[in-house]
Amino acid sequence: MILLPDGALERLQAGCKTIGDRCNALDINSWEVVATQSYGHQIDIEGGKISLAAGGGEGGFGIRILDDGKFGFAYLVDVNSADTAIKSALSIARMSPSVPGFVLPSAQSAQQVSDLYDSSVVDMSSEDLLIQADDIISEVASLDKRAIVTGGGIGVSANASAIFSSEGVDAAGVTTSHGVGVQVSIEEGGQLTSSWQSKSSRSKITQANECVARAVQWANLTRDPIKVETSGNDSVVMMTSEGFSPLFSVVVPNAIRGEKLVREESFWSGHMGNNVIASDLSLVDNARVPGGRSSGARDDEGVPTRKNSLIEQGRLVGSLWSTRDAAQQIAEGRIDIATSTGSAIRSGHQSPPVSGCSNLFLTSSQKGRSYEEMLEMIEDGYIVNSVMGAHTANPTSGDFSVTTSSILRVEGGEVIGAVKQAGLSGNLANALKDGVTLGDEVRPQGSYSSGSMYLPNVLLRNGLRVNPV
Amino acid sequence: MIAKSPDSDAVGFTHRYLDVDKLNKSLDKVTKDGAAYAEVRLVAYTDYSATIRDGKLERAIPGQEIGATIRVLADGAWGVHSTTDIASLEQQMNPTLKLAQSVAARRSSKDRPVSLAEVPIIEDSLHWKPKKDVRNTELSERLELLNLLGDSASGHDNVVSVTCGWHDEHIHTEFLSSEGMNRTWSFQRSLINGMVTARDGSEVVSYRTRFGGEGGLELIESCDINQLGVDAKTSALRLLKAQRAPSGKMPLIADRDLTGVYIHEALGHPCEADLVAAGDSCLDGKLGHKIGSDIVTVIDDPTIRGGYGAHPIDDEGLDTTEKCLIKNGILTEYLNHRETAAHFDLKPNAGARAQDGLHHPLVRMSNTLIHGGTHADLDELVEDLDYGVYACGSRGGQVDTGRGSFQFAAQEAWLIENGEITKPLKDVSVSGLTLQILKNVDGLTRESKLAAPGFCGKGQTVPVGDGGPIMRISEALVG
Repeated sequence: MILLPDGALERLQAGCKTIGDRCNALDINSWEVVATQSYGHQIDIEGGKISLAAGGGEGGFGIRILDDGKFGFAYLVDVNSADTAIKSALSIARMSPSVPGFVLPSAQSAQQVSDLYDSSVVDMSSEDLLIQADDIISEVASLDKRAIVTGGGIGVSANASAIFSSEGVDAAGVTTSHGVGVQVSIEEGGQLTSSWQSKSSRSKITQANECVARAVQWANLTRDPIKVETSGNDSVVMMTSEGFSPLFSVVVPNAIRGEKLVREESFWSGHMGNNVIASDLSLVDNARVPGGRSSGARDDEGVPTRKNSLIEQGRLVGSLWSTRDAAQQIAEGRIDIATSTGSAIRSGHQSPPVSGCSNLFLTSSQKGRSYEEMLEMIEDGYIVNSVMGAHTANPTSGDFSVTTSSILRVEGGEVIGAVKQAGLSGNLANALKDGVTLGDEVRPQGSYSSGSMYLPNVLLRNGLRVNPV
Repeated sequence: MIAKSPDSDAVGFTHRYLDVDKLNKSLDKVTKDGAAYAEVRLVAYTDYSATIRDGKLERAIPGQEIGATIRVLADGAWGVHSTTDIASLEQQMNPTLKLAQSVAARRSSKDRPVSLAEVPIIEDSLHWKPKKDVRNTELSERLELLNLLGDSASGHDNVVSVTCGWHDEHIHTEFLSSEGMNRTWSFQRSLINGMVTARDGSEVVSYRTRFGGEGGLELIESCDINQLGVDAKTSALRLLKAQRAPSGKMPLIADRDLTGVYIHEALGHPCEADLVAAGDSCLDGKLGHKIGSDIVTVIDDPTIRGGYGAHPIDDEGLDTTEKCLIKNGILTEYLNHRETAAHFDLKPNAGARAQDGLHHPLVRMSNTLIHGGTHADLDELVEDLDYGVYACGSRGGQVDTGRGSFQFAAQEAWLIENGEITKPLKDVSVSGLTLQILKNVDGLTRESKLAAPGFCGKGQTVPVGDGGPIMRISEALVG
């Protein structure tokens, strides 16, 4: 099966134009049409074997119309039903409150971001993926005869998107992605341990060995748990990039949205210009990273993207805005000046844009430490490689209370054994305030929210409690 | 690329999107070409969501989606094709067969080929018609109800924001198979929710509330929305003053919401037979074994009308039915679809669900409940305890089905001291091991019913209902 049909992008653009023409015909002056169409191949692995091969595509159109600062939105799958959708959006706009100063983004030139499309991904067939899936299953078995891939798979996709507006925005493009995820389990002697690892890229992944090896390694490391007493005190915890990113992604992207900050719905509200995290740490959102998972030349309302510095040397200096959020918060008197930071995001064509992050980087002015160096820094503590329940963290307060079965006990700078299960709780905003050491290898991770998290291993010395079973 | 949308004029229940005659011919052909089984399942959604924030309309989104999935079983392996291009379904039948044959060709002789349990072949239409078809609801009616929730949750100096949301959907499914199945069914879901954010100095908290289920507008109208909002505001303000929870092993009492999430995570997921077959469930080989205390009986029942996980027919075309997962502490049944029923030589119990027309069915829960016990009320459960925690409202949970370890988080909680509920607590989560903690259930109130609606993720997201009585666990790990 062909991944990307000929003319896919052109048909998407033609659909946008048709809908735009219908808006004009219905005397709507200010409108924006977005379209997405994704095509993919996927192989699922279950119980140590390939369980199915799948393929297909999905997509549709979203229409945002604006009438005197009032906006309405509707989405549809069929261009022929555009009039119905446009009229729905118009009737909603008429019932919406006016946001003075809110206009759709004007046309601006945008520099392309490189490495978001790889023709070798598009050229991959289901058969190629089947070979890769076989290789993963074999690789796991070769690393540990007891280990099997109990879940996961491999997939490729080509994602066409277009935006077309009454303000002259007219952009379209195709990106690619290739992803691998493996759940490796080892069951022996009545003891089952497992580990999930994943990797994804805009370009073709030729080697999934590192990801597979890490899954097997952690399934092994967590065997034969030792008994550890609860100390009742805060614990020093090194969280791997994989363990840290789920918590970070629930809490931090929410806290640096402009409208959350000015509405006092962020734990960093009222702290603009103040130190909010350790003075060596910085936070940057950058949609212009070549090959970045959430990179693009334009945001999801057509505004050119840029690198946004949010926290510099511990000090809160910026926030993320979409056009409407900025206009609304000014109109409601919560802030005097705010403009789009090129940070509008959508969850596909089915939703209007909101403010959100793209590729979020946590960095330090201190030298990044290797895993071994960070381990040596732990006199009495733990290493956590994954957590359960990160989505239950409270994004408003930063509080969390999660569970981990992928945790190692460290004493005197050495791992002395695995802990079967432990509770891990604290407040992430507080934990980042001081005593933080970052690792030297940034690994991009998916997220529970929008955007991608570019995080190294993180050593946290304050505010975390570990409660071993 | 996209052929046909749900017809906006088709607000009745009889409209069909698939060309049955043409597709039946395609299904016959693909069978002649080597498929052991093939099916087409189409789902058309008409939905509407709306959000207000602090009394102002933030967004309203009417939408329509249509998607279809072909599944072909050949030589003991699956090929799947999903698309929004309904006109292309016939052309995709044979490529999907080839996909299945490619998978089969890579199987070793040790790999067990996929087969399907026999099921009755049915041709019919079944529509759960609501009293008030939600598709006929005006935006103004939706906003009136949302404003009622928003107003009741507002009105305090410490409440900085109230966001209220609405989502309704009409789900129409058509199912054709090479075995002769030809079924059409439809139903609706309606949901209203709110989030109150409160602040006192640097302390900022939020509390979520939710009401909904299978049904039309009448369902939302049956809710005491004013009380829902007042309760959410009260809880948010209480959280501002709440202390951090103690940590360690202690007795726990869970309200209906948390009882539901507990049984969903700790038991429901490990009971899903696709995970059991994949070697990723702690309940593998435990059918017929005692895994819980005598008072624990658990059902999963998609036929409970009004439950958020209710549906008349599963996504393999089988009539849904109640499943008894645990009877008096003994594991009696897995949740199955046709493949796993054949794998374990069990009777199929209609446990197949897909997120939408663009996903293939997995084994999923629906409405999952613990039966009631013998305690009269919460007071009776509390009075025996010297020390413990009473936890309420769910912020969600997660399970590692293979290890059998789970975690769920409460929205708010109280300390129990000397048989009485005392100080409010925040950030309470509970974790444990399925096979240990089911045996620690030592008290259940008499009345069992579904709690707030929820969503379950397993690669695909589906709406679910969970609930039960108020439950006491003699020892749980509280964090």
